[in-house]
This record gives sequence, C-alpha cells and structure tokens, in this order.
Amino acid sequence: MATLAETIPVPRSEPAISAGKLQVRRLVVAHVWVAIAAFAVACLLGVWQMWARSPLEAPAHTAANYFRSVTMHGVSMAYVLTTFFIMGFGYFTAETALKRPVPGLWLAWGAFWLGIAGVLMAALAIISGNASVLFTFYPPLTATVWFYVGLVLVVVASWVWCLIMIFAMQAWKSANPGQAVPLVMFATVANAVMWLWTTVGVATELLFQVIPAALGLNGMVDVGLSRTLFSWTLHAIVYFWLFPSYIAFYTMFPRAAGGRLYSDTMGRLAFILFIIYSLPVGLHHLLMDPEHSNGFKYLQTFLTALVSVPTLLTIFTITASAEVAGRMRGGTGTFGWIKTLPWGRPMVLATGLAFLMLFWGGGGGLINMSYGMNAMVHNTSWVTAHFHLIFGGTVVIMYFAIAYVMWPTLTGRSFPSMRPLNVQLWLWFIGMMVMTLPWHWTGLQGQWRRIAAFDYSNPLIASWGPWVIVSLIGGIILAVSALLFVWNLVTLHRSSSPRFAVVEVPYAEAVHPPGRLPASLNGFGLWNVIVAVLMLLAYGYPIAQFFIDPPPQAVVHRLH
Amino acid sequence: MSDPAYPVTRHDYAGDAEELERLEAALEGGPKGAVAVSLIAVALLMIGWLGMYFLVFLPRGTVG
Amino acid sequence: MAINEQAILNSELRWAAVVGGIIAVIVSAVLYAAIAMHVNPPSNREYVDPKTLHLSAEFTEANLGTRIDPDGRVVARLIATQFEFVPNCIVLPTNREVTLRFATPDVIHGILVTGTNVNTMVVPGYVAQVHTQFTKTGDLLMPCHEYCGLGHTQMIATVKVVPPEQFRPDAEGRAACGDAR
Repeated sequence: MATLAETIPVPRSEPAISAGKLQVRRLVVAHVWVAIAAFAVACLLGVWQMWARSPLEAPAHTAANYFRSVTMHGVSMAYVLTTFFIMGFGYFTAETALKRPVPGLWLAWGAFWLGIAGVLMAALAIISGNASVLFTFYPPLTATVWFYVGLVLVVVASWVWCLIMIFAMQAWKSANPGQAVPLVMFATVANAVMWLWTTVGVATELLFQVIPAALGLNGMVDVGLSRTLFSWTLHAIVYFWLFPSYIAFYTMFPRAAGGRLYSDTMGRLAFILFIIYSLPVGLHHLLMDPEHSNGFKYLQTFLTALVSVPTLLTIFTITASAEVAGRMRGGTGTFGWIKTLPWGRPMVLATGLAFLMLFWGGGGGLINMSYGMNAMVHNTSWVTAHFHLIFGGTVVIMYFAIAYVMWPTLTGRSFPSMRPLNVQLWLWFIGMMVMTLPWHWTGLQGQWRRIAAFDYSNPLIASWGPWVIVSLIGGIILAVSALLFVWNLVTLHRSSSPRFAVVEVPYAEAVHPPGRLPASLNGFGLWNVIVAVLMLLAYGYPIAQFFIDPPPQAVVHRLH
Repeated sequence: MSDPAYPVTRHDYAGDAEELERLEAALEGGPKGAVAVSLIAVALLMIGWLGMYFLVFLPRGTVG
Repeated sequence: MAINEQAILNSELRWAAVVGGIIAVIVSAVLYAAIAMHVNPPSNREYVDPKTLHLSAEFTEANLGTRIDPDGRVVARLIATQFEFVPNCIVLPTNREVTLRFATPDVIHGILVTGTNVNTMVVPGYVAQVHTQFTKTGDLLMPCHEYCGLGHTQMIATVKVVPPEQFRPDAEGRAACGDAR
C-alpha cells in the first residue's frame, strides 16, 4: 500500500505541466462544475423519487411533481452531467496529452455559453411542468418547444467540441508526421467521431418531427419513425458516456497502479470496435416494438453481442495491466498481485470498484439484448437496475476518479489526504449495489417503470415494499457520496489546501510504446466507411420502410 | 516537487533500467493472473446467462 | 527491450478466441430458441388508424375482451388509452396458445403480464400482438409499462388465468372476467 513516506520524487525527462497553469484551466473547471451541479441536483431528486415510490409518505407527492422530477433527473444525468463532463475532460486531455495549446479556445467558450443557455431553457421548461416527457421524450406526447430547443443547443455545443477535438488531433499529426497519436487523445477523438454519427438520429427526430409538432406546424406524427430515429442515438450515446471511463482504464489506471498498459494496440482496437459496433445497435431498444420485423431484431441481437467484445477485451487488458503493476510491486503467484496494488490511490480503487459493477451491469445487459428474453425484462425495474449500475456505477465512479486526477493539476493544490476520496468512492459503490440489486429482483416479479406511486394494498405489490425501501436506503447512501464528492473538490479551491508547483503528465506508458502505426490505428478514415456500411445494413430498411409503406400517424398530444 | 497526494515512487517511474528490469520480471510467465480472473468472471457470466435463459425465462411460457 | 510484443498480442488473441466462443454460445442459444421453440419478440407490422379505432371492425367496444375466434384461436383484444385499458379485466386459459392484440387511439403505451413473458409496446398506428401459452393460473397484473402521461400510474388491468375447465365462453365464443367461477 503506497504511503506518503515512500515519496522519492523523480523528475521525468519530458517537460512537466505547471500545476494551476493550464491554458484550458478555467474552461475545464467551468464545464466540470456545471456537470457536477446538474449531477448533485439530480441525485437529490432521485432520492425523493424513490421515497415517493416507497410505502413511506413523501412530501409534495403528486404525479405532476413526480414526472417533473423524473424528467429533470433524466435530463440532468443523461444530457448535462455527461456532455459537460466529457467536453471538459476532452479539453484537459487535448492540452495535456498533445502538449500544445488547444485551438479555437474562443469557440470553445462560445460553445460553453451556448450549452448553458440550452440547459437553462430546458430546465425552466421542465420546472414549469410543461415538459414532463422524460429524457426519452417519445412523441406523440409533446412538450413546450423551449424544452427541445434547449436540448438542441446543448447538442450543438457538443458538436463544436467534437470539431475542436478533431482539429486538435489533425494539427498535432501535421506537426508530428508519422508519429502515433497518444492513445488518450486517439480515444477522445474516437468519442467525438462516434458522437457526431450518433446525434444524427435524435437531431433528425427533433428537427423534422418533434419541434414542428411542438410549434403546432404538424398535427400528426409518425410514431414508429420517431422511435426508430431516437433509437439510432440511444445506444451509441451510452458509449459516448462510457468513453471517458474506459479512457481512464487504459491511460490513467496503469500509471496510478505503478505499472504500464499491457497493450496500446488493444486499447486502440477496443475504441475502434466501440465506434463500429455501438452505432448500429440502437434498434435493440425496440425489441418489443411492433414496427420492426424479427429478422432485423435478430440482426440487432447479433451486432449487440459483438459490441460486448470490446468490453470483454478491455476486462482482460486492464486486468493484465493490473497484474503487471502488482507483480512490479512484489506480488507473486496467480493472485498475489491483487494484494500489492496501491488500493489507497483513488484511481486504482475506482477502477476495481468499477469492474465489480461492470460484472453485474454488463451481465444484465447481456440478458437484455437476448432477443426473446428481452420480453422478460423490458420496461421493468430490471432495466432501471441495469443502466443505473452500468452508467451510474461503472461509468460515473470513474468520472469521480478522473476529476480527482484533474483537480490538483487544474487548481495547483493537492489533496491533504486520500481518505475522504476513497470513502466517497466506497460509499458510491455500496450505495449503488444496495440500490440496484433489489431492482433486479422486483423487475423479474413484474415491477414496472416510470410509476409515480404504487398501490401497496395489492398483495403482489406489497411484497415489493421492503425491497423498495432497501433501494431507497441505497439511494440515500449515494446522495451522501455525491455531496462528499462535491466537498472534496471544493476543498481544492480553498486557500487552506497545500499548494504544489509541478505535476507529471498523468497518462500511462504502454509496455510497448507505439512506434509507427498503420493509418487505421491512428485515424478514423477507414472506420467511418465501415460505420456507414453497418448503419445502412442495420437502419437502412428499418427507416426506409416508413417512407415506402407509411403507417397511420398519431395525433400530437400537447402537454400544455 | 510533485503532488504529495500522488507520490512518484521508484515503483512508478517509467523508463529507467531499474523499472525495465522489474517490468521484464513481471511479464515473465505471461498474464496467468489476468487469464485466471478473466476466465472466472466470464464463466460466472455464462452460468448466469444460461441459468436465466433456461431456468427463469423459458419456463415462463412462450412469447412471439 | 527483451519483452516480446508478439507474445503480448498472442495472449490477447487467445483471449479474443474465448470471447468469440462466449458470443457464439449466446447467439446460438437465442437462434435455437427462436427457430425450434418459436421464442421471438412480438413483431407485428399490422396497421390500424388511431383516429378511427372505435370505427374499425376489430376494435369496436363490442368486440373487445376474450373471444374464441371462428378459426378456433383464443384471442383477447384490448384498447390501451390514456389512462385505462378497455376492458380492464380479461380471462384466459392455461395450457393453450392464446393471442393478445392491442391498439391505441392516442399515445405510446406498453404492457407486461407479471410473472410471464407477455410484453409488448403498444404504438399508435399498429396492432401490437403477442402469442403465448400461460403455464400457471392466478390473477396477474397487466400494467401499462411505458410512460403515457400524468395518469400512467393508474393504468393497470387484470389478467385472470384460469384452468381450462373454468374457461367457459358463451355461445358467441366470448369470455369475460365476471363469468369465471
């Protein structure tokens, strides 16, 4: 276990970063605090929601408030926390990995303020009660146009980020011909490329169907088409959220563990496989829908099984990297390396806890995607359990760890002790397991989703009551962890925290640092072509059918 | 001076001969530990999936 | 450096083979169940106009609920609407293939039947259809499981699954919840 007493500062031969002096310092801090603010509000709303659904009396418990809250919770977690965090982390990566100023900072700030305007617009719409359509906003339920316009602004802001990331990488490649793009930046740009592809679905749905309906320009909407377009975005978006966490697995964890990344090549391959296999599989969210045939649904199951491959590869590569680190620290035998890892370091602890949650969350996902078996779980609490565990758990716990790595570099101050950080991470893990495991059980019993209250006089529903309370306790533990996370970061803004001047680049070295790479592992030209082919295969007919043989449309149902 | 909360120790420094020696020693014998942990994890996943499919899902009746 | 990069890639390839095996097992088991046991998701591209649902021959009020169709199939027809099912109780027998058909005049709904694999989205414009065979008797809940508006919480129907001897349709082949003894 690493202790401060072990410190023998050894300067590296490359230029180090002056802590607190990054050019993107204020940009990153601004983005990440916006993400955290949305996250904290959403955590508290989540606790209230679970209280409302439990047998216990919750204050202000009306259907209108419940669905306002669920909409706010979903939008904050799925669109604001994620997009702003990813943008901030991307700017941090671009400067620290490429070791040059990020191009177009003025554009980045413009995008930030555009995103803020969008968030405020959407938030006010939700609070007003005229946008209780949840973060999935399925038409023909139609909210006030301000809700949708707000979301569009956030997406447009993120597109600006994508272009800056791509441009930054291209500029570095021109200045460093023949060299391998650092893995951390390659993966960040992979994420940007994937995001540009995946937002096409929801953008099309919003611009051509939902916003015209909200403005009163259409009285009817093709619901099958809108669900299909939304599904285009719905899978790769979760990989957009997941990329920072996997980036931390590959490029930060091995260094924090005191070792090296087992294989840089596999890292690049994993991110490439995520791009090509996560984009076409959105239709697996529509396995229970009437409008698509069994043939296309089976294709989706097959492709979704393929998107589990990069995760299964990652499990091995990162475990192997951990083994290297553990053995370098003196561990012997088949499992002895586990004990010698520096679990006292938040990045190492978070990775271990993330992998434990990945087992359960990923396992649940394998069940969800299995074609007919989806009927057992669709729209039950099992699904709620799956995505809270995999996103709220595996992904978000790494967001905490990344923030803990970035913050000393951004603020020029260091954490006086690792204990509050590790306590916060443990609380998050424990809370998440306690909250989500009961949901798997009640989901299999038929507990369904998006309900403002349960009638506990029914015997079946009454049997769920104790489990709902257990989940609520898990949620309260999560809320405590969330507040502790905020506190931990706030302490670095206070002048009472110790200052330090110089910090090493936090990225891991690979066992074999890449030399010259083929273009396919250093850029995205080939992969864009493959994505286009797979999207055509998976979505071509499923979308075209709505134009070839148009179904009857539904009447727009305005909420206000 | 580096961040005292993330001490750079001899264990962490990458690139000098001492680190390379420890790295080579660590890689000797291949990734036995990672193989073991990964195999156990996916075996449990498979048992879980097969169990759910044949013992929980199919007995609940057909769907189509 | 004496560490063999190829050895590392070979170990990754061996692991990739294990991963490929896992994928093969899952997709094969799913394919087998689909083909040999007819276990599929409910897919049914059959159109019905939401605006004229009440005028359609099939989904008029008098034709809703459980009925033995002229071709001998047991079919239950329900309308899902904001915020109730019509009818809100149906009766079905065990150990016999049954078909549930749903349509909606308004927004997206969905149903599941607790403890069974009956699950489908109900999308305006389509007749959602699920075939199943119930294996256990009981009073099961059939809630709307997709958010359909502020009254979504109240939208729950009952499915009474009865043994075949208690399933007694009348002369027209219709069976309703009140009939079961």
